[in-house]
Formats: sequence, C-alpha cells, structure tokens
Amino acid sequence: MPKIEIQQDALFAYVGRRYNEDEFVELLTCAKAELDEPADEQGMMKVELNDTNRPDLWSTAGLGRQLHAYTGGSAPAYTFFSTRDSMQPYGDRRVVVDADLREIRPYIAAFAVSGAGISQVLLDDVIQTQEKLCWNYGRKRSSIAMGVYRSDLIEYPVRYSAVMPDGLRFQPLGMEERLTPAEMLSRHPKGQEFGHIVEGFHKYPMLLDARERVLSFPPITNSADLGAVEAGDERLFVEMTGTDLPSLLIACAIAACDLADAGYDIHPVQIEYPYDTPLGRLIVTPMYFQEPVDLDTAHVAQVLGAELSQQEIMNSLKRMAVSASANGSRVRVMPPAYRNDFLHPVDVIEDVMMGNGMERFTPLAPTEFTVGRLSPVEEFARRVKTNMVGLGYQEMIFNYLGSYREFIGRMYPPEQHDVYAAELVRIANPMSESYAYLRGSILPHLLGAESISAHAVYPHRVFEFGKVARAEAGDNYGSVTLETLGVLIADASADFNLLNQDIAALLYFLRIEYELRESGDPRFIPGRAAEVIHNAHPIGVFGELHPRVLENWGVMVPCAAGELFFNSLIESR
Amino acid sequence: MQTSEELVKSLHPLEVRVLLGFTENQIIDAAALETSLGYNRGQANQAISWLSQKAYIEEVDRNTVTRYELTALGRDYREHGTPEERILRVLATNGPMSMPELSSSLGLENRDTGSAYGALSKVGAVAMDGDKKVRLVDAEKAGAVKAVRALLDRTHDSEILEAGRLASDELAVIGRISRKRGAGSAAFRQAETEEVRYRLTAEGLRMKQLLVGAGLTGEEIGALTPQMLREGNWKNRRFRAYNITLPPGRVLPGRRNPYCEYLDHVKNKLVSLGFQEFDGPLVESEFWNSDALFMPQFHSARDIHDVYYVDNPRHAKAIEEPYLSQVAQTHENGWETHSRGWGYDFDRDFTRRLILRSQGTVLSAKQLPTAKVPGKYFGVVRCFRYDQVDATHLADFYQTEGIVLGREVNLRTLLGFLEMFAVELAGATEVKYVPGYFPFTEPSVEVHIKHPVLGWFELGGSGIFRPEVTQPLGVSVPVAAWGLGIDRMALMHLGLDDLRELFSSDIENVRLRRAE
Repeated sequence: MPKIEIQQDALFAYVGRRYNEDEFVELLTCAKAELDEPADEQGMMKVELNDTNRPDLWSTAGLGRQLHAYTGGSAPAYTFFSTRDSMQPYGDRRVVVDADLREIRPYIAAFAVSGAGISQVLLDDVIQTQEKLCWNYGRKRSSIAMGVYRSDLIEYPVRYSAVMPDGLRFQPLGMEERLTPAEMLSRHPKGQEFGHIVEGFHKYPMLLDARERVLSFPPITNSADLGAVEAGDERLFVEMTGTDLPSLLIACAIAACDLADAGYDIHPVQIEYPYDTPLGRLIVTPMYFQEPVDLDTAHVAQVLGAELSQQEIMNSLKRMAVSASANGSRVRVMPPAYRNDFLHPVDVIEDVMMGNGMERFTPLAPTEFTVGRLSPVEEFARRVKTNMVGLGYQEMIFNYLGSYREFIGRMYPPEQHDVYAAELVRIANPMSESYAYLRGSILPHLLGAESISAHAVYPHRVFEFGKVARAEAGDNYGSVTLETLGVLIADASADFNLLNQDIAALLYFLRIEYELRESGDPRFIPGRAAEVIHNAHPIGVFGELHPRVLENWGVMVPCAAGELFFNSLIESR
Repeated sequence: MQTSEELVKSLHPLEVRVLLGFTENQIIDAAALETSLGYNRGQANQAISWLSQKAYIEEVDRNTVTRYELTALGRDYREHGTPEERILRVLATNGPMSMPELSSSLGLENRDTGSAYGALSKVGAVAMDGDKKVRLVDAEKAGAVKAVRALLDRTHDSEILEAGRLASDELAVIGRISRKRGAGSAAFRQAETEEVRYRLTAEGLRMKQLLVGAGLTGEEIGALTPQMLREGNWKNRRFRAYNITLPPGRVLPGRRNPYCEYLDHVKNKLVSLGFQEFDGPLVESEFWNSDALFMPQFHSARDIHDVYYVDNPRHAKAIEEPYLSQVAQTHENGWETHSRGWGYDFDRDFTRRLILRSQGTVLSAKQLPTAKVPGKYFGVVRCFRYDQVDATHLADFYQTEGIVLGREVNLRTLLGFLEMFAVELAGATEVKYVPGYFPFTEPSVEVHIKHPVLGWFELGGSGIFRPEVTQPLGVSVPVAAWGLGIDRMALMHLGLDDLRELFSSDIENVRLRRAE
C-alpha cells in the first residue's frame, strides 16, 4: 500500500480549507487513507493510501480532489478528454508507433502541458506521482512506465520505436557516457533494476523525436538531452508506455488531471498505431474510455441494509466526486476519468456508503440461528491436551518453519540426510535458511526448546499438539498435513519406560487400541524405540533419543521423546 | 518480628530437647548430646548448628582434640591378633620354628614376621636357637604386646579413641601403632579436630522458659503415619506445630500454554456466537489462496516477495471443477457475476502453483462450496508470510477469520457482528467503523475499538464478499467476511510486547508465564 509525502499547505489549498490533526484523520477515512506521520516543521506529512485500486488518490492533487468533493466542493470538469466518439484537437502533437512494439510493449499515451513555470513543490509531487503510479499501479514499471520532458526541445511527430540492442547510442540521465541500450541494461543503475522487463526481446522500446533524438528508453530511463526537467519549466511533454491499455489510460488521466488541478493547460496528443488496439488504431490521449454503470436502488438497499432514495444515492456519489443521474428507477453512474475501479455495481455501492458517511449505518444485531461447533481436529486436540496436562506435561507452541540443519542435519546420520529431506515440504524462495522448510516432525522443535532450557529445573516434560506436513507423491498437492502430538521428557532418569507408561495412559483414555513394534528410526537408540501400530498401520514412534542427536543439539541430559499422528483417528470419528 | 509463640513453633524437636535438657552454664557439645539425649553425631551437630545460628547457645571454648580411629588393619589385629601375639601363640602351640616356617604358618610377609620377631626378641620374650629356630622364652616379658591388646579391645565400644581419655603410657603405645596419613599400614589413624563447647545464652534460657510454659517436650508427633492411625497411639499425644510461614517448595506442574489457552478462549467465544470451526492443509494452491478470492494474478500482493512458494512439487495436479473454470472466467470477463472482470488471460498453470497459505481467508473461500445457508464459520488459521522476523512480524502466525452466509447479510448486520466481536472478544468500550480496502470484499469496513487498557486500535477488517468471489463458488446469498487481529490482545493478555514471545521455546519462561 503506497505511502505518499504531502506538503500540508498544498493539500489544504486543494481541499479549500485547513483542518487540525484530529479532523484531518477523520476526514482521511473517506479516501481509505491514514495519517502515517503528522506534518513536520517543513509542513511535510506522510499519508498511507489503503485502496490499491485508487491510484488517483496517490498524489496531493488527487487526494485533495477527493477531500474537496467530500466536504461539499464540486468536482472539477476536465474538458481535455477525448472519447470513443469525439477527439480533442491535437494540433501537430502526434506519436507514431512502430509495428515491432506490438509484442514488446505495445501501448503509449501522452499529452503536453503548458502554464506558469513549474514550482519545486509541484515538480517533487509530479515525480512522486510518477514513482507511485509506476511502482504500485504499474507493477514496478512492467505494465506502466512514465517519462516527463521539456516539450520545447521536442520536434513532432514523436516516434515510439523498437531498436536493436546495439542499434544506437545516447547519453542517459545521470551518466556522462553515451551507451547502447544493451550497455544500459548492464551498466546503468535503472537498467540493472528494470532491465528484466525488456531483456528477453530481440528489440528494445525507444522514444525518439522527429529529428531522431532520443527522449527515453522506456521503461528504463530518460535521455540526458531531452529528458531532464527542472523547476521553472513552462512547457512539458508527458508520456507513458505499457502493456495494458486501460491502466495506461488511467495513469495518463491521473497525471493530466493532477496537472490541470495545479493550473496547467493540458494539450492532447494523437497516438497512431499500425496494429489494432481495444480502442482502435488512432487514439487521442488523455482519453475517457470508461462505460457507465447502472445502479439499481434495490441492490443498494440490499447491500447496505438501508433504503436510500435515488437522490440520496446521487448526493452521496457527488461527495465521492462521482457524477450520477437518474435513469428511470435506476441511477446512471459515470466513473470519473481517473478511475477504473467500478468492476461491478457493488464497487459503486461502496462509494455510496462512503459518501453517506459510516455513521449513517447503524449496526443491526443478526437474528439468523446457526449452531456453533469446534472442528473435529480441535475437539480431539483438546482431549489429548487435557490428558497430557494430567500426565504432568507442559504445553508448548512453536513456529512451523525451520531450517535444514534443525530438521535434517541434527536429527539423522549424514548418509540418510537425503532420504529424510525428501519427506519435507521445501520452500522455493526462502527469505533465510532459518525458515526454509515446513516442519515434518515436532521433535526438532522440542529439542530446540530443550537445547536452550538447561537452566530450567529438571525434569522437563513438554508437548505440543500441532500440524506438520510431509511430502506425499499421491496427494493432489503433493503433501499431507498431519495432526501431531510431539512429546519430550528430558531428565537424568528419562528413559523408554518412563515415556512408554505415559503413552499407554494417554492412548488408554483416548480409547486407541495399539501395539508396539521395535522401530529402526535412526533418531533413537537402537532397541529402545517403538513404532505405535493401530489397525495394522503405524501412527507414531517414540523412544530414547540417540546421544548423537542430543550431542548435535547440545543437550546434556537423556531424553525420551516421540510423536503420534492422529489424522486417521480423527477422520474415523 | 516473630512473636514468642512463633519462635517456639519454629524450633525443631532436636533443638527443643537440647534447650530443655541442659541448664545454665552446663557444657553443651556433640559428645554431651550423644550421651545425654541419645543423638547420633549428625543430629547432635545439626542441633548445635541451628541453636548457635539463633544465638540460643554461645561458644565457651574450643580445643583441638586428637583422636585415634581404628583402621581396617587395626580391625584385623583386633579380631585375629597382632603379628607379635600370633607368633607367641603359634610358638606356644607348635614349639620352635624357623622364620620361613613362621611366616608361612601365619600367612605373613617375611618382612612383617621379621620386625615382629625383632620386637619380641628385644624384650627377651623369644630367642633364636643354634639351628636357626625361633623359640618361646617368656611370653610374660612381652608387656608391649599386652598394652596394644588392651587398646585394641577398648575399640569394641567405640572405634574412635580420644587422646584425652588415654593415660600417658597408653598414648605412648598408641603413638607407635598409628599414623597421621597413609594409615593403611597402621592399626590406628591419628586425626585432629577442633571441638567447640557451648552453653545456653540468656536468650536460650528465655526460650527454655517459653518451652516449659508451652508444655512442649520435643516428643510431639511430627509426621502422622499410617501406623499411628492403625495403632491409635496418636491419642493423648500432642502434634508438633509447623512453621507454616516457611517458603513452600517448587512444583513443576503439567499445564497448558497460556497463548494456546487464549486461542481456545477465542474459539469458545466464536462457537458460543454460533460459528462452526473450519481447518485445512498448510500447503495451498494459488487458486484457493488468491484466485478464488478474485485477486488478479498480477496483483502486487501476489509477488514472489510476499508469498512462500513450495519447491517439491511446484504445482497441484488439478484444481476442482467447476470452480476453476468459473473463477477463471470471472477473472477474464466477469462470467455470470455482472462484473466486467479483470480483463486479462487467466493463467491456468500459475493457479496450480503451490504455496504456503498466506491468509486465513483461503479457508473461508474453500468453505463456500459446501457452506450451509444460513451459516457461520470461522478458523484460527496458521498463515505464512515472506517477512523479516522481528517483534511485530513472524514468518508464521495465526489469523482469525470467518464468514457469515445468509439472506439477512448486509452492511448493517455486518456492523452488528463487528460490534458483537468488539464487545465479546475484545471488551471494547467504544466501537468505530471506517471504510477499508480488501481485494475480495466490497464494501469493506475496518473496525476500530477503544480498549480499556490499549486505547484505540484496529481490531479487524471485514466486508461483504464480492459477487466475483461467492458466485463462482456456487453461493448466491451475500456472505460477510471478517478477520480479527487477536495477537495484539493476546500479547496484552500475557503481559508481552514481542510477537516472537508467543511461540517461545524457553521452557522456564513458558512454565512461569501467567495470563493477566
């Protein structure tokens, strides 16, 4: 969820009045926003935006627009949007797209800007918007990348081309040298960070003007010649490239509306595709492409649990800067140009909720009767736990992730590591070696506890009832989750017999018939380990832990330990 | 400050009998207690130690005492005779014998026979004749032999002879047959100890008066035994009063883990509110973890850096139909849900990708195809996140999640549930609802509560499942979904401030942990 830095004065100027901190925190809820850090001495504050489908709120102007409307202001009318039916005049501002881009990075949207010299505060905000849009909404530039240029230097038509990796050289921002696109991927910091987006293609996207001068290498970086913008610039060219046309047009609309709100004139640009797009081959951007949504008042009442009139619905939407009109018994909703999050009427209904304010909706106690019940696993676990406590054991609870060293290295003889490692569920992308496997047994965790607890008065009698997972080739998911009791006695007198009598007592009270069979499990001393057999199937193992295992864990007292797997018993109940 | 009564009670019978058994200025030492009270040495030392700590007795003087302790060899001499005695005996019986004959008939080393012969011949008790045979001259002349015998015989009463009780000629004799160290070759071991003698103090005499006044004798019943009950001889006797203020010993009881007990408490509450518990496997597919929840496959929370992927195997064999097709179409174009969908090509391989479940809502989604209407379900679900582990993040942790299905489900009944949770589970004094964002609910609401201790905090998130979630899984009624952040309350309940502590491996730490 994006966090943005906002100049408090700039925001309140958009909203139309100032607020103290408490009022402001309250007001922010209408944008699903939270005040992360209040304004510092320079008036900069941090705001976290929770709705990942509302990138229009991730800027000072955008958030200000929402708060302005919510507090009774009118939504600004933007006249520079083209639609499917009518194109805005674009003059000589054209971008011509190369046919090769269709498979690489097919879409581009652009507009030009003119007005008073851009202030440093606004420039910082534009750069922040660019970053948030491209990182969070544009999936780290893979689906949207944005560039801003001084339009005075650019000669139209701009060409959105595909070039060979070593097809030309230019000087990127932040470097003195002239590099080929291929060199940029390996040597420019942005090339190293974002190069993977285009690396697999035989040609790379390149934005050039009519005189073949490079504007930028999307989505990597701008050129130093045309792509450097400074405070004081009066005329800009803004473009975005990407892989998904609707989100690209949304990002374009957001940038255009933000600059328009800041007092700039927006000048449309025509994009000429040599291939079909969902909106045709000639598109003038910024473009309004959204479809109206018809809202049924009965649907609103059903979802919100409150009867709202057509007028109330329209009023509440107005407070969300969403324009709506009566359409028979329904309400016709026109999504704002900078929003594309009305996938379903319920999305609009949420805006109706927010526009009303939460206090409009009082909690209603539920009346439908249902029977409450614990899961069979929980019912069984509680019986086991009660018995274990009665037998003098202390309950532990452990994390389920661990390392190869804990689960395999310290437990088994080296020649058997591979065999037992194959039984574990392994994580493909572990963050650290310490959390690289899902546990297949509770014993390593019990030994881990023992290894750090030599200071605790003996005897130690501990258990956990929890889940372990084992690889199981026949299973649809390739593994099974086992409901497991793990138990350990650590004491000078801990031995097979001591644990055997407790297991016998536990299984007696659980009404589980069983017999013991000598186990060859290498974690235990040979001849002092038993497999627990129920209905001819093994359901567990226990015995005296092998001193090799104890030594590996740094445990200096004898331990009797074991575990029982109860899935078959729980399911048959 | 203890009262006199408490002081009297705190006395052990061993102390009581000493206080009662001795008078002012009478000497109290271990030997005296052994003699007059019949204590063994250990009891005597114990009583003296306690009494002197309490200053009921005080030191009179201390003397170094020399003792001679009979050794194993001495014991052998006592039973079977010293070499000298045995030579005299065998010569008296058998007549003259050569030295080797003497050694072999007595089972002695030649060297020992030799030195015994030397001592005897010196005093003229035996002599060597012309054919090198030893003959008895006059046994009466071996006075030293008799003196040793007298000392050995005295050890029948006590194997320790005190130097102070031996006459000077006896001391001279015992000095020759004892060693300070390496006493294996001597009959006695000579030991020196410091002996302290005590007498009652004024305080001791006062206690004695108190004991007399209380009628205590030190013969009161200590432990009541089954034998006493059988024989009835407890009757007409008094019981020794214990000092009940002494710190008790420590027990190591079997007990539940307080965090688990808290989770049980939460489950019990939810069951009492009509919720049925669900459970499921730790390994999940992308399909159930996210696709079924209408999170687009390109969603930022589904990044490689947010979810743990399983390496063996990487993909589920199959995803249940018709849910797979219905969910896939919903993502692509909305299917029959009146949604326009996300408008991308749903990846049917990626949806089979296996992961460790990252959110409890997975199990809510999996419950939908078989859920009853009306129905309420919940789970306290172990989840896994790709997070650096610290005080506020764990690699695996519990989420408490649930759903409510029913025709009456709407925003206001959802708020009704949230209010119920806030009061019943969290003890909230005030509740506030604010719009929230979750990819699978619309509308979405966060519930913030004012807790009597913690103040305002976010208790949980909730909302009404999007039709794109419920309809592809065969549910046509509205479904409210909620999740509660209970770990914060668990920490407060247990007096902790670090999430890692909930899963502590430290046995002592968990043993001593108490709920608030």
